[in-house]
Amino acid sequence: MKTKRTLISIITLCAALSLTACNGSGSATTENSQKTQTESTTEAVDNSNTKLDDLYQQENQIFADHQDVWNKAFGMANKSDADPSGDYADYLAGIIESNKESFTDDELKTLNDDIETIRQIEKQIDEIENKNAGSESTDQNDNSEEITPFKSFSGKNFDGNSVDESLFSNNAVTVVNFWFTGCKPCVAELSKLNELNDAIKSMGGEVVGINTETFDGNEDAIKEAAAVLDSQGAKYRNISVDSDSSVGKYASDIMAFPTTILVDRNGNIVGDPMLGGIDDQANYDSLMKQIQSVIDADSKDK
Amino acid sequence: MDKNKSLSKKTARIRGWIQAAATLLTNIHIPNLFKGKIYQGKAKTVCVPGLNCYSCPAATGACPIGAFQAVVGSSKFKFSYYITGFFILIGVILGRFICGFLCPFGWFQDLLHKIPGKKFSTARLKPLRYLKYIILIVFVILLPMLVTNSIGMGDPFFCKYICPQGVLEGAIPLSLGNAAIRSALGKLFSFKCLILITVVVLSILFYRPFCKWICPLGAIYSLFNKVSLMRINVESSKCVGCGKCSKACKMDVDVCKTPNHPECIRCGACMKACPKDAIHYQFMGKPCSPKGHKQSSKTNM
Repeated sequence: MKTKRTLISIITLCAALSLTACNGSGSATTENSQKTQTESTTEAVDNSNTKLDDLYQQENQIFADHQDVWNKAFGMANKSDADPSGDYADYLAGIIESNKESFTDDELKTLNDDIETIRQIEKQIDEIENKNAGSESTDQNDNSEEITPFKSFSGKNFDGNSVDESLFSNNAVTVVNFWFTGCKPCVAELSKLNELNDAIKSMGGEVVGINTETFDGNEDAIKEAAAVLDSQGAKYRNISVDSDSSVGKYASDIMAFPTTILVDRNGNIVGDPMLGGIDDQANYDSLMKQIQSVIDADSKDK
Repeated sequence: MDKNKSLSKKTARIRGWIQAAATLLTNIHIPNLFKGKIYQGKAKTVCVPGLNCYSCPAATGACPIGAFQAVVGSSKFKFSYYITGFFILIGVILGRFICGFLCPFGWFQDLLHKIPGKKFSTARLKPLRYLKYIILIVFVILLPMLVTNSIGMGDPFFCKYICPQGVLEGAIPLSLGNAAIRSALGKLFSFKCLILITVVVLSILFYRPFCKWICPLGAIYSLFNKVSLMRINVESSKCVGCGKCSKACKMDVDVCKTPNHPECIRCGACMKACPKDAIHYQFMGKPCSPKGHKQSSKTNM
């Protein structure tokens, strides 16, 4: 009997520990897979970087091969003419063109030939750079599918008018509050959210509510939500979205309400989502701080 | 009759496995535990019989006590008839058989009590049993109904301020798997963790302290123990009055006198202890002795 008891208690303990252990290792593996992902992308970028280096080397080799003439030509270059975004070959040709009479015919021929070769190399460099930039931006798009569901946005306000992602682009920061009508703490902060909306309007911010009960244009739910908003004196915009839209899916992954997130002008979510109502002063202060930093970052970008 | 008796004993013997299976079935979405996400499908609109938090990521259905408070506390409804009907249905069919066989938190306490060490009797703490009825009336019914905001919404007071199952199944796994929730944990979480730790420690020292003193769901089912279809019968013709059953009963029930006492969770410890094989389960009175016999058993005792 006693051995049975100890056996059972040991098994219980093991079960409890294995649960926590599984949890830990689970998150570790996801971290690992993320790491390998980023590593593989950097590998690809590294690859193209070596190619780029190679091409730059080729260009420098050309200058080294005809060192005398090129040094002469560079000596005539005017720094203020340099246009960093302009074509490098055109720039070189420009130097030669404006100082034609300083070179002999032979020298001119070498220079012009070299410039043509450089033009070809530059083309390749451009291609690789574009590709890199492209892959980086697609990377960002891939991420945004997960983290920024607001890149493309469509919904309707409670009057039935459509809104799109311009909802965000008009403001430096948009405070998106996820709530539902039957959620007491959500309703408790509505009046405070309205205050917040008034406070940040002049700073280039707006509060937008997304009520998960009003998804897919559910009219009864919209009526109820509107009545609750009205009773709490909340006048800021509330949007109904489709449940199978990216925002709808984002909302269905929220496990605690109210959840409030900040979205910048470009539809990116900034910082971590905040759980809990801003009728709590500490939450209000930390959210306000975050809002301020998004606005600051936005004005810097301009 | 003999077959039935042996069936009763067998059922009582495999109780631990039935509890494990019931816990697994009420928490079927196990992968969710590691994702920190709650299953939100259609089955969540149905209640499970035992105390099993809706916010457990793995939960199959809703907790009846939580659902009751949510409906009573919502501004749309004044009273939750559907959940009350569910209580009556389950109560009339099984009574506190739920506590002994199907409730995950009951199983949790059973397992904790198996941890070796000094055990204490709760026989002297019987008055504390009434605490659960007070909790049922005050925290589950009255406060969510009456303490409301301007548009008639109340808090689920029992879930929010008392229920240790909510911390064990809801808050802890959710916060482990979900960083946003982890960041939102505050004083209330610490307070409820203290309650959970207290219940865990008490469960090791006493048998099922939560069921005896706190659980409002047990309080509801206990009201049906005397009338439920599932019951325990003591055969007076076989009983020799040795009192072994009452000694074996960890819920402090005098089995011979009151086999269907509100505190009986139908665990079957008495059946296993009875040297005369006189105690067994019966369902709808059918697989048992004739009516006259049963009555005589009561009067004789």
